[in-house]
Amino acid sequence: MTEALRPPLAARFGHFARALPPQAWVGGALVGSFVLMAIFADHIAPFDPNASNIKLRLKPPGTEGHWLGIDTQGRDVLSRTIHGARASLITGTMPVAISAAIAVPLGLAAAWFDRAGALVMRMMDVLFAFPMVLLAILLAAILGPGLPNLIIAMVLVLLPFNTRVAYTEALSHREAPWVEAARALGTPVPRILLREVLPHVLAATIVYSMTIIGTIIITAAGLSFLGLGIQPPTPDWGLMTGEGRTVLNRAPHVATVPGAAIFLLVTGFNLLGDGLRDALNPGRQR
Amino acid sequence: MTKYILMRSFQVLPVLLGVTFLVFLSLYLLPGDVTLNLLGLAANEDSIARLRAELGLDRPFSVQFGIWLGRALQGDLGVSHVMRTPVTAVVLEKTGNSLILMGAGLAITVVGAALLGPLSAVRKDRATDHTVKTLTFLLASMPAYWLGLVLIVAFSITLPWLPASGMYDFITPGGLPDLTAHLFLPALTTAATSLAIVTRVTRAAMVEALARSHVTAARSRGVRGFRLLYGHGVRAILPTFVNICGLQIGYLFGSSIFTEVIFSWPGIGQQLYTSIIARDGPMVQGCVLAVALVFVLGNLLADILIRWLDVHRD
Repeated sequence: MTEALRPPLAARFGHFARALPPQAWVGGALVGSFVLMAIFADHIAPFDPNASNIKLRLKPPGTEGHWLGIDTQGRDVLSRTIHGARASLITGTMPVAISAAIAVPLGLAAAWFDRAGALVMRMMDVLFAFPMVLLAILLAAILGPGLPNLIIAMVLVLLPFNTRVAYTEALSHREAPWVEAARALGTPVPRILLREVLPHVLAATIVYSMTIIGTIIITAAGLSFLGLGIQPPTPDWGLMTGEGRTVLNRAPHVATVPGAAIFLLVTGFNLLGDGLRDALNPGRQR
Repeated sequence: MTKYILMRSFQVLPVLLGVTFLVFLSLYLLPGDVTLNLLGLAANEDSIARLRAELGLDRPFSVQFGIWLGRALQGDLGVSHVMRTPVTAVVLEKTGNSLILMGAGLAITVVGAALLGPLSAVRKDRATDHTVKTLTFLLASMPAYWLGLVLIVAFSITLPWLPASGMYDFITPGGLPDLTAHLFLPALTTAATSLAIVTRVTRAAMVEALARSHVTAARSRGVRGFRLLYGHGVRAILPTFVNICGLQIGYLFGSSIFTEVIFSWPGIGQQLYTSIIARDGPMVQGCVLAVALVFVLGNLLADILIRWLDVHRD
C-alpha cells in the first residue's frame, strides 16, 4: 500500500542525483574510471603485468613503449599499475560490505536487548583500545598473508566502528514515537526492527561505509606494503610501493607511481563519500 | 573533578584486562612453535615435552594467562627469542623513541591546525579558504607510506638537504640539532593525515563560533582581527579542538608505524614490524601491549583534559 504512494524509482534517483554536490560527481568519475580500468585491465594494459624483460630493468618513465618505466624485475610499471586496480578495489569494498552485514544485526540486537548490548559494546571497547593499523597488523600476522586473510583482517578491524554506528543509530530510534506506536499496536519485536528501525540503520551504515572505504584501501595496501598482505607476483599497489622502496634512490618511479594510484583512488572515494554524506544530512555545516 | 578522574580511570581497568587477554591470546595464535624456536636443532619429542613443562605450556590456558599477567604486572614480559634479551627493556627504549616522533607529529598537527583552521574560517569562501580546504582534502587522502617516500625523493635524494634514515648521524652523532634534522621528515609524514583532519574540523567549528552572538557583540564593540579570533572565537571551540586532537592519537600511531619502517626510526612500530617478520612472539606481545597502553592512557588524558576545560570554562 505504501509502495504505491512512493514516486517511481527513476524519479527518486533523479532527485537524489541533483542533491549530490559537484565534487561527488568528480569523485564518482574517478572511482568509475578505476573500476573500468580493473574490469578491462587485460585489454587496456600494453603488456602482460608479469612479463619480464630484465635488460630494461629500472628504466625511467618515458622509455619507448614503457611510459611509466620498468620495475626491479623488468616488468612494465604502467601495465602492473592498471592491473593493480583490481586488488585495491576488492580490498577496499569487500571488507566494508562484509563487516556492515555483520555489524547491522549485531548493532540492532545490542540496542534492543540491554544485557546483550552491554556485553557486545564492552567487547567493542576492548577492540577500540587498539589503534586501527596496529590491530590490522596483528591480525594479518596471526592469519598469515594472502588476499582472503587480508579481507578477513580488515573485516575484523572495521567491525567495532560499524557496530558502533549501527548501535547508536538503532538506539536513537528505540523510543521514537513511531516505534512506540508500533509497540502499542502489538507489533512483534522482529517486525518493528525490520520495518521501522532497519531502514534508518541501513542508511547510516551505508553513508559511514562510503566515507571509510578510502581509509580501508590505504590500510590494506599498507599491509601489503609491509609484506603482510597480498603476495608477489600479484600486481598490487601497496606491494609494488614496498618493492620499489629498495631502489628509491636509483629509480624513484617504481615506488611512487603505484603509490600515486592509491592516492588518486582514495581521493575519488573520499570525494564521493563526503558528497554523499552532505547530500543525506543537509543540516550539516559544510 | 577528582571524582571524574577516578571514575574514568576505573572504567579503563576492564578494558586494560581485555587488552592484556587479547595480547596474551595473540601469542597462542601467532604461527610458529615456541619450543621449536628455542630448541632449534636439539628438538626431539623428549626435549620438547621437558621444555613445555618448564615453560608451563602444559598447564591449562587460564592458569598460563594468570601467571603471564602476574609477571607482566611486575614488568616482566619474557625474553626475546631473537635478541635473547628481556623484552621490557627493549620495549621501553623503543616506546620512548616513538613518543618523540609522535610528540613531534602532534605538535605539528596542533600548531598547524590552530593557525590554518581559524585563518580558513575568517576567509570563508575566499581564495585562502579554498586553498586550505583543497590542500587538507588531498593531504587526508594520502597514504603515509607514499608521502614519506615522496618526501625522501624530494628532500633527501633530489635536494640532499635532510637525512632519510635513523635518529642520529652514524659518524658524527650530535645532540638536539642532529635529532631535529632527522626528525623533520618523519614527523611531517606522521602528522599529515591528522593535520588535515584537525584543520578541517577546526575550520568548521570556527565558522560556527564566529556566527554566534557573543562574537557579533564583541565585533560591534570594535574588537577586530587577531583579538577577536583568538580572544573570543578560540574559547568557544577549545573543547572541540582538544577532543579532535585526542582522537588523533590512533591515527598518529597508524602513520608512525609506516614512517618508522620507511625512515628506519628505531621506534616501537619498526620493532613490531621486524619482530613479526622474525616470528619473535614475546617481542610482538610486548610491542602490542606497549602501544595499546599508550593509546588507552592517551585517550584517558584527553578525556580528562576536555572535562577540565568544560568545568573551568569561565
